Amino acid sequence: MASMIRRRANRGGPTLKRRDLLKLTAAGLVSGVSVPWFEALADSGIEGPRKKSCILLWMDGGPSQQHTFDPKPGGEFAARPTSVPGINIVEHLPQLGALMEDLVLVRSMTTEINGHYDAKYFLHTGYKRTSAFEHPSIGCIASSQVSHLGDQMPAFVTIDAGFDRNDGGRLYRNVPGYLGPAHAPLLVNDPDEGLENLSPTGSDVEARLRLLASSESRFAKQFATPAVAAKQAAFGRAVRLMQSRRSEAFDVDQEPARLQQAYGTHKFGRSCLLARRLVEAGVSFVEIVHRGWDDHAGAAGPISYRAPWMDAGMATLISDLKVRGMLDDTLVIWMGEFGRTPGDGNGHFSKAWSTMWAGGGLKTGQVIGKTSEKGKTPGSEIADRPVSSPDFIATLCLALGMDTHAEFMAPGNRPMPMVDKEAKPITEMLG
Amino acid sequence: MISDLSRRVGLLLVLGCLVASWSVSADAAEESLLERDVLPILTKNCLGCHGGLKQEGGLDLRTMPAMLKGGESGPAIVKGSAQASELWKQIASDNMPSGDDREKLSAADKSRIKTWIDAGMPTVSQRQQDVDTLLSGPKRHEPKQVAAAIDEHIGGFLVTAGLKPVARSDDAAFLRRAFLDLSGRVPTAQEAAEFLDSKEPDRRGRLIDLLLGKPDFGRQFGRTWREWICPPELPSGGNAGTQPYSQARAMGDWMGKRLTEGASWAEITREILTVTGEIKKSPQVIFYSLVGEGGKTSADGTSRAVASLFMGVQLQCARCHDDPYRDWSQREHWGLAAFFGRSQGDFNKIEVGKGASKKPGEISIPGSAFKNQGQTVKAAFLGGATYEVKGADDLRPAFAKWLTTAENPFFSRSLVNRVWFSLFARGIVNPIDDFRELNPPSHPGLIKMLAGEFAAADFDIKHLFRCVCNSQVYQRTSRYAPGGDDRARQALTTAFGRMPMRLMTADMLFDSLKRAYGDEKLDLRTSSGDSTVGMAAPVGDAWLEFQRRFGINEEDATEFTHGVAQMLTMINHPRLQARSKALDAFQKKTPDAQVAATLEWLYLSTLSRRPSVLEASEAREFVEKSGDTNSAYDGVLWMLVNRSEFLLVR
Repeated sequence: MASMIRRRANRGGPTLKRRDLLKLTAAGLVSGVSVPWFEALADSGIEGPRKKSCILLWMDGGPSQQHTFDPKPGGEFAARPTSVPGINIVEHLPQLGALMEDLVLVRSMTTEINGHYDAKYFLHTGYKRTSAFEHPSIGCIASSQVSHLGDQMPAFVTIDAGFDRNDGGRLYRNVPGYLGPAHAPLLVNDPDEGLENLSPTGSDVEARLRLLASSESRFAKQFATPAVAAKQAAFGRAVRLMQSRRSEAFDVDQEPARLQQAYGTHKFGRSCLLARRLVEAGVSFVEIVHRGWDDHAGAAGPISYRAPWMDAGMATLISDLKVRGMLDDTLVIWMGEFGRTPGDGNGHFSKAWSTMWAGGGLKTGQVIGKTSEKGKTPGSEIADRPVSSPDFIATLCLALGMDTHAEFMAPGNRPMPMVDKEAKPITEMLG
Repeated sequence: MISDLSRRVGLLLVLGCLVASWSVSADAAEESLLERDVLPILTKNCLGCHGGLKQEGGLDLRTMPAMLKGGESGPAIVKGSAQASELWKQIASDNMPSGDDREKLSAADKSRIKTWIDAGMPTVSQRQQDVDTLLSGPKRHEPKQVAAAIDEHIGGFLVTAGLKPVARSDDAAFLRRAFLDLSGRVPTAQEAAEFLDSKEPDRRGRLIDLLLGKPDFGRQFGRTWREWICPPELPSGGNAGTQPYSQARAMGDWMGKRLTEGASWAEITREILTVTGEIKKSPQVIFYSLVGEGGKTSADGTSRAVASLFMGVQLQCARCHDDPYRDWSQREHWGLAAFFGRSQGDFNKIEVGKGASKKPGEISIPGSAFKNQGQTVKAAFLGGATYEVKGADDLRPAFAKWLTTAENPFFSRSLVNRVWFSLFARGIVNPIDDFRELNPPSHPGLIKMLAGEFAAADFDIKHLFRCVCNSQVYQRTSRYAPGGDDRARQALTTAFGRMPMRLMTADMLFDSLKRAYGDEKLDLRTSSGDSTVGMAAPVGDAWLEFQRRFGINEEDATEFTHGVAQMLTMINHPRLQARSKALDAFQKKTPDAQVAATLEWLYLSTLSRRPSVLEASEAREFVEKSGDTNSAYDGVLWMLVNRSEFLLVR
């Protein structure tokens, strides 16, 4: 909470230009609540404790654990010591290795499903697919539970960070299901374009808005229904977002050139930078999807190309959050729908794989669980502390400060727990 | 007087989905009724352990007979005496719900249960049995006669509840509503002007006839059904990414085409349920895999979908175990599934002779169910007899024949309720697929009458629409002045005394925008081309992306669900600020059109009415101030499609 206010103050307290405010008031679009968005932002920081945010880095297709965070002796990629003695990751990720005290590696994911789409569903929802209804994804759940700025900023944004290859199965779409359409994500199709349709088009926008505003206020008097009020509120939010400086959160080019350079020019790094700006502006959950990790021809080649941009983007994100005092309140998770077969990473492998966590007030600088060291193919078994998909989701929910015992109502008046009741969260990493 | 009204209104609202006990007397606030007051408490606190899933102590609290029968310690309830009832003793002493971590019942909840038992277990349904059906005999009546009976029914309920219905809508509101409901789009300027200028006394009835006679009516009906059939995310085969959107659209189009060709609801249903062969020949083949699993058909997915869509019954819980809250057993679900156990297929075809059933008419409960895995269940009609297999491999025709008769208890009422729901954003039974004794309709006589009429008219869909749309109930205004008692007005809407405002479906909005802009290829996507590439492509075609963006809450069309993303699209998408080809055509046809005439044309083609004097002068001023008249017209069109009045069905 305090850090929130300080952060705002440090940035010099942006204010809406008086001229803009007058225009909007004249257009009838700042009726009643004539508070510009950023003042409301600061207000809400004072009103209650700021809940945590999450940035989910989704490597679609299933990234190889042995070519990233769980290298094995004799494996294709050499292991290299990190800043925490005793913990090694592959040598291709030096910047992340230097930040190991801020990371937690969960090396014992074991999640049953080896098919892309069903696995994506399972890891996004904590439930296996049924044909009866759609379970809400973790981002939608967070939107319903921890969004902290009301409607000042969208609660859940997904960013498409592009792809290396065109496979990896059907893309998972975040579905809010029984939580309601309000918790569907806002989609950013390209980090450099920002939010689509955000920039005003046409030269006479004020005149058009004025023309609209007068007829809208008359209509609301004849049809004072909740639907009309909701339409006018949503419309007003959109106009305020587009005309105010709040929309700048979607513009990564506003960052200093050196920081942009550090994040990297790859869409993934640009997406990480956009995610930080969005979380800073009050977004609760950002999911970045990079597609094409389904490396059936072996993981070593493709990952040696991907590692530099992934390392730069993620490491800069984590250290940038830290510098801004945001890391404790922002959970960062790197993962895919499963790992890959030990050795060359040719096949899908859900039995023993890794996720990487950072920030969010976790007990960092540690490794949870381990995979087998011995045998013909090291890493083919879990040696310690298996973590299932429900365990994973439960840990994520708890880290964000949610009540995992909450129940939603699914179709047919069927109570659905937020998290499967059998889930055992990884308490040893929760702060 | 006011307190009487507000008490009655309060009752209506407490009922939520059960707006039924309007006939109760003024002192009814202290009364306790099973469905309204008691069942919600039992569902929340008791049925988890004493319902279909578990019956601890042998006790099942889902139905009245089961409560009276009780469990191992005798009857749970003694009618008329809470003190003598085991159930009351257990909850009064906080012995139940059992367990330290369970919340005990509140004093208010306890008092509701005690009052109910002491009063002899009264139910909402009992109070409704004396409602007359108002139409004579099982025969097809004149639509106007049925419409009058609908009005009499609802009017009677409103009088009993002390509620006064609102006025009739004006012609423009009716025109727009009828076009959107029956054609799935707003009228063109010409269509609107024709109706508004008509002096014909029965112009509304004539418009209904006109719209029902067009292929657009079938198309809109098919689209509505496509949305009902399709799950929120369409299945895909295995790992591969392709979802059968185009096939689902083709199925909707096919339903519309069959309707336009004159097929009845019974025929269309039979053609869906008994389809075999290739999708190229029969677009309805996709039905089975849409409601199946992983891109393939599944007998139990079919059972669940057929129950919900064609019978108005929810069997989804009964797949794995007896329904904890409803009186549906697992055997009933699988008995229905067994009819679909000897046909299987995928997105492309349905074949008979293979499938989950090893023997025709028998199916075994799969290992993925929670209970009774491996047990064999014989095909049985829901609530009826076991089906005797007579040689044939494919049992679907026998099932479809049983389902689509006038005598079938499920078929007619289910479609009637869905049609009513699509026109009023609320069913006579809610949720629309949860017909059962303890979830009674709000107007039992009305649904009985309409189901009888629909069956007597050989399941003629147009007849049903004609009857309902000609009623005053359908033609009421949705005006809603600010101030006053919000709850009373909400109750009035719930009781069909006022038309609710609805949000246009994505199909309606897309087609209406296409008309207004004269652009059949309207495309509101902005994404760069490369993200559409590949199996995992996140961006679909123009229609699909529009559906995804502007989809509405299917269960409650009165909810305005659009947010910032949708509003930004409407405000800033370049296509919606650019020229309307329809306007171009208008100007070409009438080169001498003055500003006033052009503005009138713009209003008619979007809001289906002429501008008011004030609106006309505001728009004229906007045009005059602008340096470029043509671009000012584009601005007016932009303003019109961004209005609440455009996005909503008033």
